[in-house]
Amino acid sequence: MSRPDSLIGSRMPRIDSGPKVRGEAKFTADIKLPRMLQAAVLRSPHAHAVIKSIDTSAAEKLPGVKAVVTGADTAGVKWGVFRYTQDQQLLPVDRVRYLGEEVAAVAAVSEEAAAEALSLIRVDYKPLPVITDVWQAMAEDAVLLHEDHPNNINVHVDIEVGEVEAGFAASHLVREDVFTAPEESYFMSEPYAVVANPLPDGSLELWMPNAAPHQKAKALCNALKMPLNKVIVRKVTIGGAFGGRSDVFPGEFITALLALKARRPVRLVYTREENTLATRQGHAMYTVVKTGVDKDGLVLARDITCYMDGGAYSSTGPIATSVPFLCMEQTYRLPAVRYNGYRIYTNKPVGGMIRVHGRAFAGGVDLQLDMLAEELGKDPLEVRLLNARRTGDTTPTGSKVQSCGLTDCIKEAGKASGWGDKYKKLPPWRGIGLGTNSVQTGFPLGIRGGSQATIKFNEDGGATVVSGVVDNGQGNDNMLVQIAAEVLGLDPGNIQLISADTEMTANDPGAYSMIATFAGGNAMLAAAEDARRQIFEVAAGAMGANPADLVAAGGKVFVAGSPDHGLPLAKVIRMALIQGRPVMGQGSFTPKVDQRREWLSNPQGQLSETFSFGASIAEVAVDPETGLVELLGLWLAQDCGRALNPMLVEGQFEGGATMGGVGGMLREEHVWTENGRCLNPTFLEYKVPLACDMPAMETIIVESLDPTGPFGAKEAGMSIAMSAAQAISAAVSNAIGKPVFDYPLTPDRVLKAIRGEGGAGE
Amino acid sequence: MAKLQTLAFEVNGEAVELAVRSQETLLEVLRERLELTGSKEGCGEGVCGACTVLVDGAPRRACLTLALEAQGGQVLTVEGLADGAELSLEQQAFVETGAVQCGFCTPGMLLASHDLLSRQEQPDEAAIRQQLSGHICRCTGYAKIVEAVALAADRRAKGEAS
Repeated sequence: MSRPDSLIGSRMPRIDSGPKVRGEAKFTADIKLPRMLQAAVLRSPHAHAVIKSIDTSAAEKLPGVKAVVTGADTAGVKWGVFRYTQDQQLLPVDRVRYLGEEVAAVAAVSEEAAAEALSLIRVDYKPLPVITDVWQAMAEDAVLLHEDHPNNINVHVDIEVGEVEAGFAASHLVREDVFTAPEESYFMSEPYAVVANPLPDGSLELWMPNAAPHQKAKALCNALKMPLNKVIVRKVTIGGAFGGRSDVFPGEFITALLALKARRPVRLVYTREENTLATRQGHAMYTVVKTGVDKDGLVLARDITCYMDGGAYSSTGPIATSVPFLCMEQTYRLPAVRYNGYRIYTNKPVGGMIRVHGRAFAGGVDLQLDMLAEELGKDPLEVRLLNARRTGDTTPTGSKVQSCGLTDCIKEAGKASGWGDKYKKLPPWRGIGLGTNSVQTGFPLGIRGGSQATIKFNEDGGATVVSGVVDNGQGNDNMLVQIAAEVLGLDPGNIQLISADTEMTANDPGAYSMIATFAGGNAMLAAAEDARRQIFEVAAGAMGANPADLVAAGGKVFVAGSPDHGLPLAKVIRMALIQGRPVMGQGSFTPKVDQRREWLSNPQGQLSETFSFGASIAEVAVDPETGLVELLGLWLAQDCGRALNPMLVEGQFEGGATMGGVGGMLREEHVWTENGRCLNPTFLEYKVPLACDMPAMETIIVESLDPTGPFGAKEAGMSIAMSAAQAISAAVSNAIGKPVFDYPLTPDRVLKAIRGEGGAGE
Repeated sequence: MAKLQTLAFEVNGEAVELAVRSQETLLEVLRERLELTGSKEGCGEGVCGACTVLVDGAPRRACLTLALEAQGGQVLTVEGLADGAELSLEQQAFVETGAVQCGFCTPGMLLASHDLLSRQEQPDEAAIRQQLSGHICRCTGYAKIVEAVALAADRRAKGEAS
């Protein structure tokens, strides 16, 4: 295959798609090691209880059982993303706080033996009152899940910028509305799994689906009290993340403990139910949005109070409580804004970061602005444009916006969808709606915020590139190779990738904050440019040319304009070896963010170096008798900076609209009993969108060419998941002529909205 | 220990004979005994479609199929689709159209596509979507998978090699 002129912007097939279509890509549960044991976890049948005693003696005596662990083996070691949120014992010692929480675990020679051993473990529980919603949790007499958190308030994000009350006083129109949504789940295709293998040198290697191998290793080395270089997270194929693989779970700690205790490899594979209950879920939300606008619809002030059901532990709480607000303040110009975000402890599984950061937040903000526009007799699309963020702005909490294509996204989506011919002109029970948003590229992560890459060459001219970036399925591996191949003028097939292995790669912040391309891609770009500079120096000497005049393409180095008179790269590499100056590329990239910024104590300063922006439009038909929503079309626009590979970017848009829009806004929700039992933890009852549910989708890539992104790229993974959800709620509201306050928009909720009900919570 | 029975069948054209317990599923035998881990377990209850294989030409959920049900039969898994280095029409189309993201649903999707193309000359989009609706993909939104199946069908109709 001849190499096209530029790989950047090409629809290059992913380097990992061959092994995946052949069924050869190894996921964690596919790993089989000699003498490997099978693990199983005993989980609490109570949503809230004191553990009075645990007796594992019978289980330990069962033939085939090689290790049993309980909280007694752990000294109560706790996990938390931040020092101040370390509230989860990785194996609880004295108390369980949600139904499904880990209590004990075994490793045995077979799954059957492990299951039988679990049945022999005797746990004496004393049940405690169960709290299943934020109102019970905050009540004066409520039992506290964590004694040091009054009213069960886990996190309070408190932000106020500008003169909010003066803004409302000066407003022509003010609305206050309440938007609600229950929990949703990731349902990534691959259920969670861990393999741990103790090595003879005292190190421990682990495989698990993860969104940041280096962060996992650091947390695990703390918990296991081992040096960081002895806890090795290996690369493995990962079956989706969507925010749900971001932090640290008891599963990997338990598997590590069992392996160390048994001195044998151990594999733990979660059932689908365990994956839903014992990893993370999206937060339930109750959001009060108050917005004041002038006569034209320009927002003068906004005040948002959000209560998020955080479940039993903190997890990424301070981040998860902030991000919905941050996406909003990035999207809209706001002279005055106040935010009170409360994350509340309840006896439910742990809330985490999810791709759609708050359907009852983002959807509410957008829909309310539409309501205000309608009252003013304005076109909602025009009002969005009036309030849209622009390049050069600074967000209320102090982030400079260095590139912003939001206005273009809104206009392009409007044009493609035929907004002008449809808004207020559609037949009855048909509607059109717009969602707009913005997404970060990374957060301030201190010493772990930067990414580093290296490149070495073999004597045949091939390269091996090394990066800590992890691929959760979005195509990060391909992104790294595509960038290196472009700069070095190599065929991607001539590049070997080593990545996401904490022993062989240097630090990387991980793929959970939409930063993989921006930081990891920039680091790889720098390493490739460093290598190319060295290559040009050697080649220039041999060719009697000026290094500045050289180009690398097609596996050769030549003077620009004279591709026929170049040196093969292999020859240059060999010359460098003979001359004693071997080519070794190194690069690093640390985003320019304000490291003093902190989620709770100091939510001010540059949050991300750059931000992406997007706008989606949905057209729907609503059946007024059944409340069923039919999607007629989705137009998905995002400013991703630069589409390094449009085929992959389109895939992110389409997948995002499906998960966040069609799933998140129309059907996905968890249902609970008052005892804290989740009634729909599996695919059987929790309905994710299928191929037959999806309408035609038109993807619109807007390229603002970010000044510091690699080749101008920013992020492409999250924006559409949110904006599609926002667009669908706006479209349904437009179709029925009434606001929709409670999500997801299942037929019962749509019928309620048609009757003018909802909006104050249920 | 449960009683062992001899299972003799053909997997991807190879004759296989092994002793299995009566409760072992086809998926367990494929993955754990024959080390054909391309077939995935996404739910273990027949919903997600990631374990789909063809038994005597018909799609089956391997997680809900007892291994002994395949006695004397011919099983095709994702590992049997390619002809050595040469990808099948469906595999090639999945690669070229970007139909693969995380890849966990891909084996089941490919076998569903293979089954459809073996039964229908030129399936339209509705037929493709119906066939794929027994398979859950959380990454792609299905658009590029539908495109891939249509491309493979089109190429086959034109008699193009992959």
